[in-house]
Amino acid sequence: MIPLRVDEPDYAKLADATAQTLNRYGNPIQLLPDGDKGVSLRINGDAGIGDNPNRTRQHAFHFTADNCIGCHACEAACSEKNDLPPHLSFRSVGYVEGGTYPDYTRINISMACNHCDDPVCLKGCPTLAYTKHPEYGAVIQDPDICFGCGYCTWVCPYNAPQLDPVAGQVEKCNMCVDRLEVGLKPACVSACVGNALDFGVVENVPERREQTDTSIPGFPDPTITKANIRFQQANPTPHEVTRPDSSPVKYRRNGAGSGFRPVVDPKEGVQRQWNWARLSSRENPLVAFTLAVQAAVGAFATTFVAGQGSALVALTALVLVGLGMAASTAHLGKTLRFYRGFNNLRHSNLSREALATAAFGAATGLYLIADLAGWTRVASALGAAAVVAGVATIFYMVRCYLIPARPFWNHWQTTTSFVGASLALGGWIGLALAPGWSPLLCWAIVAGLALEIAGLIGQSRDMRAAEHEGAVSHHVQTTTFGQVYRLRNALLLGNLILVGALTVAGVTQPAPWLVAALLCLGSATVGRALFYVVVVPTTMPGAFFWKNKGFEEHARDIGLAANPAVGVAPTDH
Amino acid sequence: MLFGRRHKNPIRIANKAVAEWKYATCGYCSVGCSIEVGVDALGKPVTTRGVGGADVNRGKLCIKGLTQAQIFAAPGRGSVPKVRDRILEDWQRADWDSALDRVADGFKRTQARYGRDAVAVISTGQIMTEEFYTLGKLVRGVIGTNNYDGNTTLCMASAVSGYKRSFGSDGPPGCYGDFEHTQCLLAFGSNLPEQHPIIYWRLKEALEKRKFPVIVVDPRVTMFAQFADIHLPVTPGTDLVLLNSLCHVILEEGLHDEAYIRAHTDGFEDFAETVAEYDPATAANICGIDEDTIRTVARLYGKANAAMAIWTMGINQSTHGSDGVCAINNLNLATGNIGKPGGTSLSITGQCNAMGTREWSSCSGLPGYRQLENPAHRDEVGKFWNVDPEFFPKQRGLFQTDIFPAIETGQIKALWVIGTNPMTSMPNTPRIRKTLQNLDFCVVQDAYEDVETADYAHVFLPASVWAEKEGCFTNTERRVNLTRPVTAPFADSKPDFWIFTSLAKRWPGAAAMNWPHTPEAAFEEMKQLSKGRDRNLDISGMTYEKIEAARGIQWPMREGDDRSCDGQAPRAPRGSPRLYGDGTFAFPDGKARLLALPYVENNERPDEEFPFWLNSGRVVEHFHTRTKTGKVGDCNKHSPTPYMEMNPDAADELGVDQMGYARMVSRRGDAVVMVQRTQRVPKNMVFIPFHFHECVNRLTLGLLDPYSRQPAFKQCAVRIESVDQSDAAEWNRALRTY
Repeated sequence: MIPLRVDEPDYAKLADATAQTLNRYGNPIQLLPDGDKGVSLRINGDAGIGDNPNRTRQHAFHFTADNCIGCHACEAACSEKNDLPPHLSFRSVGYVEGGTYPDYTRINISMACNHCDDPVCLKGCPTLAYTKHPEYGAVIQDPDICFGCGYCTWVCPYNAPQLDPVAGQVEKCNMCVDRLEVGLKPACVSACVGNALDFGVVENVPERREQTDTSIPGFPDPTITKANIRFQQANPTPHEVTRPDSSPVKYRRNGAGSGFRPVVDPKEGVQRQWNWARLSSRENPLVAFTLAVQAAVGAFATTFVAGQGSALVALTALVLVGLGMAASTAHLGKTLRFYRGFNNLRHSNLSREALATAAFGAATGLYLIADLAGWTRVASALGAAAVVAGVATIFYMVRCYLIPARPFWNHWQTTTSFVGASLALGGWIGLALAPGWSPLLCWAIVAGLALEIAGLIGQSRDMRAAEHEGAVSHHVQTTTFGQVYRLRNALLLGNLILVGALTVAGVTQPAPWLVAALLCLGSATVGRALFYVVVVPTTMPGAFFWKNKGFEEHARDIGLAANPAVGVAPTDH
Repeated sequence: MLFGRRHKNPIRIANKAVAEWKYATCGYCSVGCSIEVGVDALGKPVTTRGVGGADVNRGKLCIKGLTQAQIFAAPGRGSVPKVRDRILEDWQRADWDSALDRVADGFKRTQARYGRDAVAVISTGQIMTEEFYTLGKLVRGVIGTNNYDGNTTLCMASAVSGYKRSFGSDGPPGCYGDFEHTQCLLAFGSNLPEQHPIIYWRLKEALEKRKFPVIVVDPRVTMFAQFADIHLPVTPGTDLVLLNSLCHVILEEGLHDEAYIRAHTDGFEDFAETVAEYDPATAANICGIDEDTIRTVARLYGKANAAMAIWTMGINQSTHGSDGVCAINNLNLATGNIGKPGGTSLSITGQCNAMGTREWSSCSGLPGYRQLENPAHRDEVGKFWNVDPEFFPKQRGLFQTDIFPAIETGQIKALWVIGTNPMTSMPNTPRIRKTLQNLDFCVVQDAYEDVETADYAHVFLPASVWAEKEGCFTNTERRVNLTRPVTAPFADSKPDFWIFTSLAKRWPGAAAMNWPHTPEAAFEEMKQLSKGRDRNLDISGMTYEKIEAARGIQWPMREGDDRSCDGQAPRAPRGSPRLYGDGTFAFPDGKARLLALPYVENNERPDEEFPFWLNSGRVVEHFHTRTKTGKVGDCNKHSPTPYMEMNPDAADELGVDQMGYARMVSRRGDAVVMVQRTQRVPKNMVFIPFHFHECVNRLTLGLLDPYSRQPAFKQCAVRIESVDQSDAAEWNRALRTY
């Protein structure tokens, strides 16, 4: 237990005399049966159990947005306590602003982990690095388990898990459970200079406060995860507030007068641009992984179903899966821990995707052996198994991207895109490598391209009308990458017409098909890269420098990031 | 577990392995927070925390205090003395003996050739009071130049001057505890949440316990202005007009305290005659605050049983800074709001020991608020130091801001700069650069060798920083607080106290004087000089032990003040929270002065060629010229490069993008900054934080206040030009490299 000092001020001490039974989501606040004091958290190996009387109740931060002065004391206290490098922070203060001088309002928002009832980080994490403890309801992540895939940073709507590109792992707020055990509020709360941050048993109204709301401008929908954060925001707000960071989102007050919704803020204008260089991102390995695995599954499945299954196709699929797995492993912060990817089959779509992919690879490999050995019936059975595993692979791959915190992906277009890529790319490989010419494969390509196009049309229609960050993604797609987007669409449509014509006409000469294949690969690659770079998560607003992606990029571009005191990791890989 | 692994590793939480907490006073601003530095088993400072039982901060610290353990081993610390003959040559490492010999020889040679005053000394508000006292003894009693001043001329000189003109002496009469008693708070040009977060917290605590009106006067919508009940977005540099007009309404409506004015002030008739000219309608045209609002605020302030005014650089850094301070004092004297709980004129000071240098450094006179102009004071100090009183000048010499022009014109040939960075902090950097080149001999003494002024030095003396040393700071509410030596001095750096004492030995005259070996012994010596019933600055009742036990003691604290007699509780165990409670002021007649303060418009204003006001100020994460905070990532990352706040409507007209670079041009020079578009500033104004080298002060005019000689940093005119974005980015990066 950490030592208590004699002159510890009262504001730093937990003071929950009472507690409610259920929280607003209908979940019990008391997390263990009466009388069960929980187990030792073994903080740094200490076997002791704290004497905090509310130890087994869900705790939460309370943030009075009316009071936050944006002084960064909470962030500094947190980083100081957790000994973080400057580019990392478990708690960050961003802000939104609105109005016209002098009727100007800035609302600062200090945000760390909300220790949710339904921790999507935990459920998403393939390594089981997360634990939701009945002690305080703390969601704690273990960096020693984490392999740095960063998937938790995708699914969390509040930017709580922090991917450290230097250490290659994620870390996050630990609720200062060491302080809670001795009756102290977390370091950030005790340090707050504006009397904005408080902490206690969830749903309790802190002293001198009136509200326990779950929304303030810029804060994502708390019901996604049943977030344990409560707000007070009673001061009048402007009709519209903007973010100082580069994210092209602003928030507009709903007509009814309650709550704000995200809308597009065209910060980079509405010009259609190319921006080829910006298509490349830290997710490049995932572009390779998804396309390679989808092509492999498609190639094997279409040829197998068309009765054109062959050792060459199987070998190609196997190589593609291998390359894809290598790319996705390269994407990890700690590649040698890749085997931990299967740890969380119970909750994580990522684990299931990894297992399905491995199973597909294994079945394909065995099929190859059986086929070469001439064991026809065994090969058929293995081939069927590989097709099933392949379908499961695509299924879970799609599920990985259906993330509420990333509304642009959380759409049926992700399914059509992944299935479409499988059919189209797989069809090409089949046509090229299968022993005979099968019109079925030609139709697979046509179907794949048509599916892709249908998804894009649907997505464009829905995102344009959306009142969430998906609309912003679509805006980025049609402006910042507007020319690339149009080129890709034109390629897709042109290719569909070309392939359709070739198929209907029954053309079998390789030359026109090769041209169409190259066009298809090109549009698939560009399309997938776009898929990753335009997604706008439901993030918390950043500040002008800190937590501003635009500034981070600029600092890396001009070399400022080389100075560690700038707080920008020199690389984001 | 609710969800997660059944077999968990122990939870790992960083443990900095603090072996001992050592007591200090924060070394950044003047709030004077008590801070404990945690050192590990090897004696290395690893973290800090606010002292829970300290009255000032009650356990809190701001971002700078929380990260302060990182400054000790920061990049750019000076490790060994360095010398060179010419500024274009490379530095040579030297030992302390030869470096100090060279300093003494340089000063002696200059004085022999050009006269005593050809050497100038510019000191700081950053070092310990005992060090200031020793430096004063060295400069006034041994070296003998009269051109000796501190960088407090850039921040607090107007407050000092205003206090002297109104009350007869320097010394803020109030304290933070006044927030708990006041019924109305009026803040001028003070952005507490950003500049003095812990004072803001004390105010917030008071407000949450008992709501009272807060009025903020600031041309910019700071967080403080936003949270105020009434925000007065005043036209830059016209506070004096607003203040005169407030007094106009108060007198007109009979809200003044006639009995107090009669009993304790002098000069009412002239004062009343002057403010009569500032009716709200006339004032509104100048200061931009409408007539009705002026009346509302005046009535609110005049009717409150206890009202207080605080101010910072918005008042001080102006061509009428001293008058502005006097006008605030006028307002409080006229309403009887001095020296009573909740009624005060409280200047919120800048540096951790700005007060210490004002009290004890002898910059503007002799130690303990004594004056060179007073023969009795010269005699007293001469005898006490064993220096011929005739050796002292008969009136104070040049202010810091007049020392540079004297170097420019060749009157001053040698300069000693201690713990300050005029290359970044003085207005009109291009002029300062040329000026420093004129010096025959320049010594820079600083904890950081990358301080930009060192570019022009012939000798660099590496000083120890903050809690590598021992001694006291005085905070903005007159609280003397102690710093214990927490860790050994960095490399071969030496405490300023040691440097001054060792340098003094190079002059034969010093041999007859007493040079205490420890700061504590120097403090005991100062106590002797501070004694006297008629002296407010009396610290004779303090000792290091008592200061640490009380977490700081407010002067006056006379010998015996903490003793109980006849079974009564001690009079003032923690010193005196307020001055002038009995209505007796420091002028010989005991009365304060109500002053006639006509507004004169003499500063640069925006015009067609330079259409924007340039305003400057602090941000919470940085301190002064960033020699410390620029290297602490957790501070610096919140503003790692210079930027300006610019109104989006103006930016649209000029085609200036968010996060793009713009080139600012004034009649002095130009600067390149990143643009942050915000409605926090009006359309005809930009705001640039002053911390960055080669930035805002390349533009500022800094016209001087006639009384305090403080520059008007906060008001001048600029225009905005577009600039090649990649060139600007390259330039920006080059200037941020340490």
